Amino acid sequence: MPKVHIETALYDRAKKAADATGYSSLEEFIAHCIENELKKLKIDEAEDQVSKQLRGLGYIE
Amino acid sequence: MTNAIIIVSGLPRSGTSLMMQLLAAGGIPTLTDHIRAPDPDNPRGYYEFERVKKVKTDSAWLSEARGHAVKMVSQLLFDLPGHETYRVLFMDRDLDEVLISQEKMLTRLGRPVANRQDLKHAFRLHLSRVHKWLSEQPNFGVLRVGYADLVTRPADEIARINAFLGHRLDEQRAASAIDPALYRNRKASTVSHNCALPKVD
Repeated sequence: MPKVHIETALYDRAKKAADATGYSSLEEFIAHCIENELKKLKIDEAEDQVSKQLRGLGYIE
Repeated sequence: MTNAIIIVSGLPRSGTSLMMQLLAAGGIPTLTDHIRAPDPDNPRGYYEFERVKKVKTDSAWLSEARGHAVKMVSQLLFDLPGHETYRVLFMDRDLDEVLISQEKMLTRLGRPVANRQDLKHAFRLHLSRVHKWLSEQPNFGVLRVGYADLVTRPADEIARINAFLGHRLDEQRAASAIDPALYRNRKASTVSHNCALPKVD
C-alpha cells in the first residue's frame, strides 16, 4: 500500500479530528477527506470528459 | 539531442498541426502517415501518425521516430515509455479559442458538443496534471509555445524553438509555414499562455 508523508503537526491535528469525530482510525478519516476533495474537484468526471472529447475529435481510441 | 524524439503536443486545436508544418518546412523530418486527410478544420493537413494512439500497447515504432517530429495529443504523453529521450514542444492556446474550434469540428463531424464550462474546467485540470507530470520526467525536455505568440511574432518564437531543438531548424523556411489568415476562432483580446497552471478552488 502506498505511503504518504505529512508534517507531524498536521498529523497530530488530523489525529485529534479523527478521534473527536468518531472515525475508527486516522486512515479512515484521511481517506474520507480525500474522497470528499476529489468529489468537490470533480477529478474523475473531468478525466472522463477529457477522454470523451478527445475520442470524439478522433485523437485517441 | 539529435536522437531525441521531438513530440509536438497540446490539446486538439491548439496549433499542433501548425507546429508540425513549421518543423517540416524548417527541415525537421516528421513522422506522419497522411491517413487523416486535410479538411476545412485543417486545410493544410493534420500531420498525424495513427500509431501514436496505441502507444501504450505498441511503442515499437518509437525507435523510427528518433530525430523526427511526431504529433501526439497531451493525454497520450503519459503512455510514452521511459527508455527514450523526448523534446516536447507543447502548444498553449487560449482555452476558449480551443473549445470554440473543437465545437466547430465536432459539429462538422456530426458529433455531440459538451458543455463548454464543464470542459474548460476539465481541460484546466488535465493541463495541470500533464505539466506537473512532465516536470517530473527526467527524459523529457519541454518548451511551451503560445499559439498567439507564434502567429503574431513568428521570428522570436521560431528562434526559441530552434534553440530548444539544438539549432537544427532553418528559421526562414520554418517561418514560411505561418499564415496568420489561418488564425481563426480568435478571441477579441487574446492573452497567450493562459492555459498555464490553474488555481483550483
